[in-house]
Amino acid sequence: MILVFAEVIENRIEDVTYELVALAKQLGDYKVVVVGADPKDIDGDVIQIDGILHPYHYKVAEKLFEEYNPDAMLFANAPFGMDLAPQLAGKLNLPLITNVVKLENGERFKATSLTYGGRVLVDLEVDKPAIFVVNRGCYEPVRGTPNVEKLSLAVEDGTELLRVIKPEEAGVDISKADVVVSVGRGAIDSLELAEELAELLNGVIAGSRPVIDQGLLPKTRQVGRSGKTVTGKLYLALGISGATEHVEGVKAKNVIAVNVDKEAPIFRVANVGVVADVNELLPVLIDKIKEAKGKR
Amino acid sequence: MKIGAIVRIVPDLVEGVEVTEEEVIPFRFVPNERDEHAVEEALIFKKKCNGSVEVLGIVDDELRDDEAIEEALAMAYAKGADKLKKIVLMRKTFNRLEVAKAVAEHLKGYDVIMIGIQSIDSFAGYLGGVLATLLGYNYVGGVVSVDLRDGDLIVQKEFGGGEFGEYKVKIPAVLGIVSAEKPISFVPLTKLRQAMRSMEVEEVEVDVPEIGGVDVVRYYEPEKPEITMIEGDVEEVADKLVEMFKALSLI
Repeated sequence: MILVFAEVIENRIEDVTYELVALAKQLGDYKVVVVGADPKDIDGDVIQIDGILHPYHYKVAEKLFEEYNPDAMLFANAPFGMDLAPQLAGKLNLPLITNVVKLENGERFKATSLTYGGRVLVDLEVDKPAIFVVNRGCYEPVRGTPNVEKLSLAVEDGTELLRVIKPEEAGVDISKADVVVSVGRGAIDSLELAEELAELLNGVIAGSRPVIDQGLLPKTRQVGRSGKTVTGKLYLALGISGATEHVEGVKAKNVIAVNVDKEAPIFRVANVGVVADVNELLPVLIDKIKEAKGKR
Repeated sequence: MKIGAIVRIVPDLVEGVEVTEEEVIPFRFVPNERDEHAVEEALIFKKKCNGSVEVLGIVDDELRDDEAIEEALAMAYAKGADKLKKIVLMRKTFNRLEVAKAVAEHLKGYDVIMIGIQSIDSFAGYLGGVLATLLGYNYVGGVVSVDLRDGDLIVQKEFGGGEFGEYKVKIPAVLGIVSAEKPISFVPLTKLRQAMRSMEVEEVEVDVPEIGGVDVVRYYEPEKPEITMIEGDVEEVADKLVEMFKALSLI
């Protein structure tokens, strides 16, 4: 038996949960634990618990582990999954595998994890029972009809949600933009040029985590696991290495990546790879685009 | 307020790694970026609460004198850390549950422990959350700011897409830091060298228990998909990109 812990933010089930359901279906019988959300599209047995999902809800998972004695519990590599899984593993003294991209059932579990910033895969064999934190985008989501069992499980801790803070910036939603020009650590010195390029291509500017961390762009412009997913016509990645957290948010139809490092993981998600120094390329590229548009 | 901040060192991915089936061999180490943010946030929080910061370097025995851990500790000292400690793991392990069990005893007594939410070389656990339950402390991860109000921590947790949850957290607590509320501060080289000369680092060796349950079968590099690669002179590269943008009707 497999227990899936739904990723819920602000009472909405995150899409990655449906990917976990797809994986659970491959592994065997399963139940999905949903705290604080309507499980309407979950396919299969659901244990629904009222309330708001908190980082301390690993205590719910602990009680359900005792009740159902599962072979595995699946969490999403997402804000709450990353909080709950390690606490549960520490509490129950169970193996915890993170950044999982593939999982198979057998006498022992066979898991594959993507690590070292997306540069290395590691195949693992894992004793049962175990806890797995699964990356987004590895399984095709499955939706269906839930068979809901409501459960009242009171747990508490010294943690209280005071408020949810919404993004301040209005107007630009990079997830809806057709063209996104995105800046990484290797292009920080060319941020203004990147913005000019975005404008010339009728696109918007975005960035990877290091650029956002430096306060050079607002959080709403972050692409990746903690940011937004880009789905438009073109994603132009400038000086972005392509860490796992970043590429999870890259779903554009065309991806052109520019990086000096020929081995950068970003080239694994790109259609076109350009081996070049962004800071040298951009001034020339901008001139040529202006020329092509008759702006010079 | 007694604050602990954990820093680990990881392979420098800019320099690259050599991958064999048995191991991943780094050419150079650097401080784990998320831990650098944890140390930065701890030092920011120190000023807010008039507390003290002890920076704890967790490092494998073979790397106990590596310049990356020395620099990470010196950097923290130069920025205002009050005390430095190196916790040396006497057995190398990828299993974070084993690491947590090894170091938990030495992490007691802090009101708050800040640690990077993850390290880039991890695949068997996140240390912060495991530590929290072993210590019996509250845990919140994905933290981007920490304040103190009426004796409780007020933390902002990243939900993604520019959304955050603000939580009140009772101490003692472990916080998994994703980024400090301000960019990492810069330390001039002269100040860093001065810190390296004057800092005192307490060193503690810890045995690492064998819990097992996870075996590495092999390490390998992901397959490289067939893509169009463009290299060469910048002018030629730019010309090819312009043609591609035209084909996509962007110009």
